[in-house]
Amino acid sequence: MKGSLRWQVVLVLSLAAVVPTVVVGALAISRARHDVENEVKRGALAHIRALGAALDGTLQDARRTVELAASQWADAAGEVHGTQLLVRRLRRDVPIVQQLSILDPDGALVFGDPVPKGVDIGSHSFGGYIGDAVFGGATPAVHLVVQARGRTGELMGVFVATLDLAFVHDIIAAARLGPGARVLVVDGRGVPVATSDPFPIAAKAHDPVVDRALASTVEGTMSVGGWVSAYRNLSSYQSLRGVRWAIIHQQPEDEAYALARRTTRDTLVIGAAALAIALALGVFASRRLTRPLADLARRADAIAAGNTIEGPPIDGPGEIGVLAQSVDEMAKRIAERAELSAALARGDRLASVGVMSAQVAHEINNPLTTVLGYAKLLLEDKPEGHPDRAALELIADEAERMKKIIGTLLEYARAPRQSEPVIAGGVLGRADPAVVTRHVGALVAPQLKKARVAFVSDVAATTPAVAIEAHALQQVLVNLVQNAAQAMTDGGTITIAARPAPGGVATQLTVTDDGPGIPAADRGRVFDPFFTTKAPGAGTGLGLAVCKHLVTTAGGSIEVGDAGSGPNGRGAQFRIVLPNVT
Amino acid sequence: MRLAFFFALCACGGEPATPTPIKFLHTFNPSETELFNKTIADRGWIVDASLVPFARGHQVITEILRAGKACPDLIRIDATWLPGLVAAKLLVPPPEELARAPWTAISRELASLGGTMWAVPQTIDGLVVVRQASTAAPKSERIADLVAAATASQLAHPLGVRVDGYWLVPWLRAEGVELAPPAITSDGAVRGLASFAALFGTLAAAPPSAGSEAPDELRRWNTHELAYWVTGPWQLGDLRDRDQIEVSALEHAPRGGQLLVVPACAAQPAAGWKLAKELTSEQVSLIFSDAFATIPTLAIAQEHATPLVQRTLGALVHSELLPRTPVTPLLFDDLNPAVAAVVAGDATAEEAIAGVRRGWHRLEREK
Repeated sequence: MKGSLRWQVVLVLSLAAVVPTVVVGALAISRARHDVENEVKRGALAHIRALGAALDGTLQDARRTVELAASQWADAAGEVHGTQLLVRRLRRDVPIVQQLSILDPDGALVFGDPVPKGVDIGSHSFGGYIGDAVFGGATPAVHLVVQARGRTGELMGVFVATLDLAFVHDIIAAARLGPGARVLVVDGRGVPVATSDPFPIAAKAHDPVVDRALASTVEGTMSVGGWVSAYRNLSSYQSLRGVRWAIIHQQPEDEAYALARRTTRDTLVIGAAALAIALALGVFASRRLTRPLADLARRADAIAAGNTIEGPPIDGPGEIGVLAQSVDEMAKRIAERAELSAALARGDRLASVGVMSAQVAHEINNPLTTVLGYAKLLLEDKPEGHPDRAALELIADEAERMKKIIGTLLEYARAPRQSEPVIAGGVLGRADPAVVTRHVGALVAPQLKKARVAFVSDVAATTPAVAIEAHALQQVLVNLVQNAAQAMTDGGTITIAARPAPGGVATQLTVTDDGPGIPAADRGRVFDPFFTTKAPGAGTGLGLAVCKHLVTTAGGSIEVGDAGSGPNGRGAQFRIVLPNVT
Repeated sequence: MRLAFFFALCACGGEPATPTPIKFLHTFNPSETELFNKTIADRGWIVDASLVPFARGHQVITEILRAGKACPDLIRIDATWLPGLVAAKLLVPPPEELARAPWTAISRELASLGGTMWAVPQTIDGLVVVRQASTAAPKSERIADLVAAATASQLAHPLGVRVDGYWLVPWLRAEGVELAPPAITSDGAVRGLASFAALFGTLAAAPPSAGSEAPDELRRWNTHELAYWVTGPWQLGDLRDRDQIEVSALEHAPRGGQLLVVPACAAQPAAGWKLAKELTSEQVSLIFSDAFATIPTLAIAQEHATPLVQRTLGALVHSELLPRTPVTPLLFDDLNPAVAAVVAGDATAEEAIAGVRRGWHRLEREK
């Protein structure tokens, strides 16, 4: 599923590459094919126009020369010597004249060769014409019939010339043709007169190209049977029926359209290469796009699973990068909210425990008082050295210790909340830090001496009174000093300092020791009720919680940090900030 | 038994027989041929059409019909060729249905010989005088008035006539000479030829080279070098601004036309006549008339023809048919070179007419 986005991106990019490539490629191929076809046809037509013009020109020259000779003969009124000279000159000027017959208007031979067979002579055929090809000799020939009219336009005779058509073959054989191409000349009956092929071809019966060429009025092209054909009428040659001869250029489509085929192949190769490159780029781009998305998905899964976010921020292009930043921000806020929720839950749990502890303490206190009272009464009755006295003293001591614990519990339970500031007699409490510090020093002196700990009071003379009940401040400082002393197993110094805080509205008191210090991991929890690092039975875990409640109830704050003065360069320092009495 | 069943299957499953194409021999020019092919194809006709150049049409068609081989089913001929083909018994008359069709009088006359219709008239043509609407009309149809009008023109060579025996006919007839072997012996023929030849270099421009007459005339008309142009419907289709063209009659002008005939040797005469009916129908004849200004032969088609065609027809009504004899088309073989010789100054009118007279006598002998 995670891979589907990538492949969808690849698919979209591929389509974006494939569709234009295919469309542009198809258009290019089609256009190239179309252009090449047109060029091939135009080229073939141009070729046969040139060849046809050469053929027409040769025949027209011959025809005009014969017509001129006929006209001269007619004006000379058939004079024999002049006729001989004229015919000799005509044969010299028009070498393609094979035979020449001169007839009078009635069709009788006047001079020259006998009239060839098949030539229709008569008044109805005196219009002058070139007929279809005849194949009696070694080469194809054609008969030319020309009227010999005199100066006045009167018909004086008829010239019948047989023209050798070998020049037709010579002209088209000399043509420079494309690969596989051939040129064919057919007469008005469709009979081949000459071809450029080394091996003469026979026109097929009802060859569609020949039929089309003979039926055409000028020229045209057609593709049939795998050949591209261009055809054109020869204006100077026509059959007796008036069907003009045709010159036909044919070339196999494979050869004619080779350029189009190469263009198609090149286009396909280039298109395939472009497609492959586009696909590779698509894959690369999709990976670049989807990798941050996948990372984001994994991070979202981790967030959903409640795990902490690890690793560097996700880097992504454009909007994806912005989204990654947003997700990181969201994860951070979710973590903060979770931590807050946990803290709230822990607070509720602690509050419940506190209430329960107070109730339990209250219920235990009375019977414990009874136990302690009876233990003391029994002690009074037992003289010194009585065997039961030690046990009774132990009971009394332990009961006393239990009452002390219960008293602390009850005190914690009774401690007002921050929203309920302690007001003594309607007036906020008041304590002089210097006085309270002296009292604390006196109270803890025996314990400190026993622990080989020195006590130093460093209260500035300018330290004002603070807004807290004196016994509460004393309890806080005693608690902190006792905790420090218990931690300083190798002795040391405990210093209580007091200074006006910057701004003049509060006072900072510090309790500093040069003991082992408090690990950083524990600092956030030292103020939690029942949290203790002491040996089981050595502490209740309520001391610092009570301290915090007393200080915060007075509108102050308390925190713990390094003193930097211990044997390991550490030591603990509690900083208390209390509002000054205004 | 199995073999018989196989043959039965072959017989039942064979492809339907392909209709036999109608063989049509025509004398259309290239443009007309294109329109003919398209019109026929659009109408689903299967026609094997062959073009015969008009100049050689008479000879070629006569030879084909005499040979009787590869005989066409329908032929388009010039009206002057009809007498020769009928005399040689090479044609069959049209069926009653076509003979009784509502042809106009001059159309029916064109297709008839001795009171019998031998052809279906396809178009009517002949010589008329064409001018721009802004050009003053000659006072009358007479040649003298045409010459007077041209003389009054400010143009260098305002008269368009062609060096051709067909154009000489009105000048011969104005001298009382008809296009027939006996008549050419009169002095009127010499006078007619002399006066006709005298037009060139004065009112008419010197003739262009042979074969380029039609495009030269068209160029001169389009460049307004001609005020009066003696020509026929065959050239009107190429003119621009047909609405601005006026047509008037020329006294003694020859009239003719194109006919559709079915040869006696036709393999499918009924199909030939059917195609002839289609080509002369109102719809098809108007297609050609609108494209080439040809004059239809059915009264209903003439009514729906363009104004130019109707004006041309109105002018041709006053013209006269050429003699209906077999030799008439052959007469031009001798007449045309004679006219050219006189116009070119190579011969006098007397010399030229004498040569024509000898040629026509030879024709008479052969006949």
